[in-house]
Amino acid sequence: MGSATRLSDSKWTPTRRAFLGGATMTGLGALLAACGGTPGTGPASELTGPPQKGGTLRVGFVGGGAADTLDGAVATNIGDVARAILMYNTLMYHDDDYELRPMLATSVTSNADATVWTASLRADIKFCDGRPMTADDVVASIERIIDPDDPKNGGAGLASVDTVIAIDEHTVEFHLATPDSALDDVLSNYDITIVPADFDIENPVGTGPFMLDRFVAAQMTVLQANPYYWGDEGPYLDSVELLNFNDTDALINALLSTQVDVVAQIPAALSEVIAADQRMRVLDSETGMWLPFTMRTDVAPFDDERVRQAFRLAIDRDQMVNQVFSGHGRVANDMFGPYDPAYPDFPQRTQDIAEAKRLLAEAGYPDGLEVELVTAPIQAGVVEAAQVYAEQAAQAGITVTINRMDLTTYWGGYLEYPFSQSFWYTRNFLPQANNGTMPDSPFNETHWTDEEFANLVGQARSETDQAARVQLIEQAQQILYERGGLIIWGFGDQLDAYQSYVGGFVPNKTGLPLSGFQLHRVWIGDIS
Amino acid sequence: MIVRLIAKRLGVSIIILFVVSMLIFFATLLLPGDPAQAILGQQATPERIAAIHEQMNLDDPAWQRYLLWLAGIFHGDFGVSVATSQPVSALIGERVGASLVLMISAAVISIPAGILIGIFSALHRGRPADSAVTGISLVLAALPEFVIGIALVTLFSTSVFRVLPAVTMQPPGTRVWDFPAQLILPVAVLVLVVTPYIARMMRATMLEVLDSGYVEMARLKGVPERRVILRHALPHAIGPVAQVIAIQLAWMAGGVVVVEFLFRYPGLGQALIDAVNYRDVMVVVAITMIIAVVYIVVNLLADIVGILTNPKLRTGGGK
Repeated sequence: MGSATRLSDSKWTPTRRAFLGGATMTGLGALLAACGGTPGTGPASELTGPPQKGGTLRVGFVGGGAADTLDGAVATNIGDVARAILMYNTLMYHDDDYELRPMLATSVTSNADATVWTASLRADIKFCDGRPMTADDVVASIERIIDPDDPKNGGAGLASVDTVIAIDEHTVEFHLATPDSALDDVLSNYDITIVPADFDIENPVGTGPFMLDRFVAAQMTVLQANPYYWGDEGPYLDSVELLNFNDTDALINALLSTQVDVVAQIPAALSEVIAADQRMRVLDSETGMWLPFTMRTDVAPFDDERVRQAFRLAIDRDQMVNQVFSGHGRVANDMFGPYDPAYPDFPQRTQDIAEAKRLLAEAGYPDGLEVELVTAPIQAGVVEAAQVYAEQAAQAGITVTINRMDLTTYWGGYLEYPFSQSFWYTRNFLPQANNGTMPDSPFNETHWTDEEFANLVGQARSETDQAARVQLIEQAQQILYERGGLIIWGFGDQLDAYQSYVGGFVPNKTGLPLSGFQLHRVWIGDIS
Repeated sequence: MIVRLIAKRLGVSIIILFVVSMLIFFATLLLPGDPAQAILGQQATPERIAAIHEQMNLDDPAWQRYLLWLAGIFHGDFGVSVATSQPVSALIGERVGASLVLMISAAVISIPAGILIGIFSALHRGRPADSAVTGISLVLAALPEFVIGIALVTLFSTSVFRVLPAVTMQPPGTRVWDFPAQLILPVAVLVLVVTPYIARMMRATMLEVLDSGYVEMARLKGVPERRVILRHALPHAIGPVAQVIAIQLAWMAGGVVVVEFLFRYPGLGQALIDAVNYRDVMVVVAITMIIAVVYIVVNLLADIVGILTNPKLRTGGGK
């Protein structure tokens, strides 16, 4: 999940990147105005007609390195995630509207108290080596992920799973140690990959639309269409090339010189200028991605609820969205999971400096206070958000000293910093709570151990009745809204760019780039 | 004489390399964070960190790991990369080649170009051509390589002319030099950065030599101007210039990092950045040692050129 923009951000500030990119594009604009239409810059007509078969799609992205992996279950950076989604499948998945849908399963249902889940598998699934997928493969895949000696990424989300049993060739039962009414949602994560029982990373076999051809870590992955792909649509492409970049400038240059066909995750500041180029399209996807400030609720000064509230009131959310996301996002209200059916409609919190000052005085800081904010380029926009916040908070008498670290240093002390930042992609409430806001969550950034909250989430976990669960989640969100340790100021859009001859991209709410890497739907048309 | 100097220098070099390896090894260990955390990022749960530590023997004491690595070096084993679990030699072998292609191409162009431009400039001392060369080389020398790089990319790849590739992209199983067009811009940046220094140094020493007594004497004796320059002046100017060239080449060994970064060039620089990010000690040490070796060899060559072109040193006595 950690999309690592390792070098670009740590080395070059986005302001300058935006400037350089802007300068480049301004030059292009001037040239276009001057001589009107050098080859390939004329207005391109929209792609119409049915998808065409064939061709290679070259995909560029910033991230990845020597530790790149082909194992979807340990996917960490954006390239790993792309490979995980292209080469493998999961039992469930989230569609473009973030609706939960069956994938390799036809259904995943639970018993009344959410302690036993039954997955019925599709009978027509084959791996890319031609062997049929059976319940035994699914059992082995889940056991591989929750292996206590070598747990994979999804192990934390599946912590409630006790045993997995194959009932018959196409039925699998999950027996849970503690109830989990959102297990089907967890099973949709791209890293809960289903692989053959004899999975070997030297010969990575999956059920995804593409299969491995060649792979060089930190450089390039060549995938080709899986002839046994089970899905109704695609893949239309013969092959996909994933190209690692470690710098946004090089990535955009590759796009502008048509060395790549699509790029994942462009900086928001560049989207306007790229969209102004007739040869390019920008894919703007509304998502539930958020970049929270995290206040540790167990250490001073943030162990005082009034201080946390004051910090939330000091922030100008509209300005944050405008400056950090260049307007490509929406303000948030200190709660997560915007696409969850239970996302409540509480009054929008706005900047209130007077009230923030009053709360701080009440908490014993009449003359304001000084805090250190630990930040790192863990995701585009995070460091900018820190800078904007430091300015805004000053009005309320809060002096924010920014301690900017490099990525590895930052992760070395992750979960320890009293005041810091994080990033999360789209998730519904329960899976997100399991990951980050429960006393036993592996990523409990705010050290949040509110008993009332934990009780409500616990009840929601075992509540299979949708209406009753919605109510429990609303109450839990109310607690987060009133006294939680997260400042959730906005949800950001996912911005990607591609050449006009590429078809099949649609906005996708998962927060993953390029329509959630659903490249089996993508095709290459005639270059007009 | 020269053989003894080389032998002595090589002995010192080995000690330097040893010290460098130890410094880099322990300096990398001092960086906060560790490879397991770097690899896992936000996914770093204590269980998964422990699993990687176990697999990679990261819990062994540092001195033990260093001694093991040192022992390995003597039979050509550079250790194992933590990030990839592959032998370090396999990881950087190809990248050494790629970086050398870049550096040697740049050297082959910029050394003669710099020398010729310097001579030309010296011979046209004070005239418009000389001022033009001086002005241009001053501007180029003042520009950081990434500014030159971005300007070239804008000019030749993305905006004005779209004739050259902006980044290096080689399919797996091929070599960078299979796609010469992709080498043009990175080499051009290095050439534009290095040549001005060589040219300016060549001009300065050439002027000095041209003003010296023996050149005047040769001219007074009626030696043809062409012969004065080639036979009398040039050899005396080359010695000091060799030093500047050496510094520039050594700079390239380290400074190539920026160029590789900008052009997505799969060389040592990129591998080094990656390895530092991953706290991948073995790879960091191996690459640093290679760069150190380049420094040592290039400086040794410069000294030899200096001796060969300096009659006083060549005939013994000397330093």
